[in-house]
Amino acid sequence: METQDMQRELAQLGGGAHALAIQIMGNAEDAADAVHDAFEVVLTEPDRFDSEKGPLKPWFLRVVRNRCIDMLRRRRRSEVPVEELRDPALTPEESLHADQRTQAVRRALAALTSDKREIIVLRDYLDLSYAEIAKVLDIAPGTVMSRLHRSRLALKEALENHDK
Amino acid sequence: MTSNTRSIDEHVGEMLSGYIDGELTQQQRQHVEVHCGACAACKKELDELIDLRTDVGRAQLSEFGEDIWREKMNDSTVQASRGIGWLLVIGGVLIAAGIGIYEFVIDSSIGLTAKLIAGAIYGGIAVLFFSVLRQRLIERKTDKYKDVEI
Repeated sequence: METQDMQRELAQLGGGAHALAIQIMGNAEDAADAVHDAFEVVLTEPDRFDSEKGPLKPWFLRVVRNRCIDMLRRRRRSEVPVEELRDPALTPEESLHADQRTQAVRRALAALTSDKREIIVLRDYLDLSYAEIAKVLDIAPGTVMSRLHRSRLALKEALENHDK
Repeated sequence: MTSNTRSIDEHVGEMLSGYIDGELTQQQRQHVEVHCGACAACKKELDELIDLRTDVGRAQLSEFGEDIWREKMNDSTVQASRGIGWLLVIGGVLIAAGIGIYEFVIDSSIGLTAKLIAGAIYGGIAVLFFSVLRQRLIERKTDKYKDVEI
């Protein structure tokens, strides 16, 4: 793949990758740093992507996810207080711009564990197939459906609690 | 994977997710459709899951648009090319220094004493330079106030 084509495709994937990173990192700023770092990693060694092994989207999302996990590990090692790991609910400024349903979905997602948030975002927001989700999360393809279903039920319950 | 041989009276559970995602076999799809035609609870759950998926798909989970990512990408490209540039400069300097040292050592027109004195001076400068550089790099990595603008 030509570097310019890759850059164009990566720019389109930025928003989705950021949404995924927010679910892992817990806040938009750190998530943006993780995506930015992932861009750097990919653009420094674009040959690491092999288009014969599959499309760019799941591959790049996996790079972003690994970057997030690295950042969290380093943060834990440097003993940042746990309360700094905020949930990915809306900040007051964001609340002004987001519509009501978006706010409800974000709050409900924030009530779930990060592994549940991740799989829901990968399927319902980023539209990845079960095989692609398995690759990004590094899990057995046969476990995706049950894990996703449990996560959706948890999100449904969180939304119902929010609507009450 | 969920068994295909479950009874039609049994709730379909996780197959509802597989159904709305188009990840079931033809046989499994028919099983879900027949079951939901007879089971109000599963039909209700199926409709709720479809709505849920639509809500998540339409939600704006990232505030940054494509333009912002293109900008960030340019930053990354600049940084990546800067990294490659530094790598080439350092590599070039090391090769030049290696050749210089080799030429100096094998040069028979310079006496052994002069070689030892010059070696000690340049070696000392190199040790001092790398120790200061190491210290600076450690400070830069651990200084928590480095991003504070004064």
